[in-house]
Amino acid sequence: MFSKENKLEKFKDAETIIGASIKVKGNFQGQGNIIIEGMLEGSLKTEANLFVGDRAKVVASIESKDAVINGELRGNIKARGYLALGGTAKIFGDIQYTELSVEKGAIINGQLSMLAEGDRRGDSKKAEIKNEESEK
Amino acid sequence: MHVYIYDEYLNKTKYNRAINRLEIRLTDLGLNGKIIRLGGIKNIKGTIQNEIKLGAKTIIAVGNNQTVNKIIGAIIDTEIYGDFQKKTLLGLVPIGDDNSIAASFGIKNIDEACNILLARRVEKIDLGLVGNYYFLNQASIQSLGTTIEIDDYSLEIMEKGEVRIINLLSDQKETIKSNPHDGKLDILIRTRKRDESLITVKNLKVSNPQEKLIVDGVVEINTPVQVGIMKDKVSVIVGKDRLFE
Repeated sequence: MFSKENKLEKFKDAETIIGASIKVKGNFQGQGNIIIEGMLEGSLKTEANLFVGDRAKVVASIESKDAVINGELRGNIKARGYLALGGTAKIFGDIQYTELSVEKGAIINGQLSMLAEGDRRGDSKKAEIKNEESEK
Repeated sequence: MHVYIYDEYLNKTKYNRAINRLEIRLTDLGLNGKIIRLGGIKNIKGTIQNEIKLGAKTIIAVGNNQTVNKIIGAIIDTEIYGDFQKKTLLGLVPIGDDNSIAASFGIKNIDEACNILLARRVEKIDLGLVGNYYFLNQASIQSLGTTIEIDDYSLEIMEKGEVRIINLLSDQKETIKSNPHDGKLDILIRTRKRDESLITVKNLKVSNPQEKLIVDGVVEINTPVQVGIMKDKVSVIVGKDRLFE
């Protein structure tokens, strides 16, 4: 069952908060939890979790562990863990996840696919190594 | 040997009582040492550097934020810094206004400052760097029209408010945590719409054609300017009520 409150608990100690009056342009990379309430254009990657607020506008490709999306996202998202789409979420892009919940009212315009086992939560490094080996 | 650096403004008669109290207390505690009054000195850097060369074990800034910054400016990135880092500690005695740096270290008044000097609890502290200017607490600028460039991305702030680039917190009521040992700066942006943003970085470039960056509340610097951090650069004598762990 989707619970916005429970999910927000995870973000209490967020390393990065992008407030509603901030516009981020470029390639943003983080290690810790990230909260986005403002605008982001480019790409975003974190080893930890991501929360996108209901007023946020994101035009970017996103990669994180768990993710909670309540705002607008134009771009692809890859959640290596659990992905929760709130009732106000608008996604225009492809979605990759390990676990997914979608609240009534969410808009999705893109393809949904479950991640392969090596790409899932905690296996990102393993997956990278595999990819490097296959390239060789 | 303790060396007390009295700032220029302490020559004013309104500070006589405070200075007398300090000197009596230091004598009582056996902490008295050499006194240098910056009022009559033209070559402040040279004078401070000379005291370190002569073997000062503790350099104590008696004054406010500017006094601390003058001493740091005279030491860091000079040939004397190696000796300073190995042998010398920095102490603070706050007198008058603009003493947020002392407050960060848990030093609220003269009596406390003397007790803290006696207890000699030492912490290594990072130093922020704006252009060629060092800071302990923070640098701040008005938010509207400010652009911040970090690594591969930039931040544009669209509301009125304040951007604070924090090394060491000076306000006990502040809700965020900032660690002056982590080799990182915390960018805290608060706008009038009660919106808050927080990003932790090592280097950034600040630009605002209309506003200046204010360092430790006292020095104004034109932008665009590069802001960075140097880890564990100064050993400071701190109080147990300091605003960091």
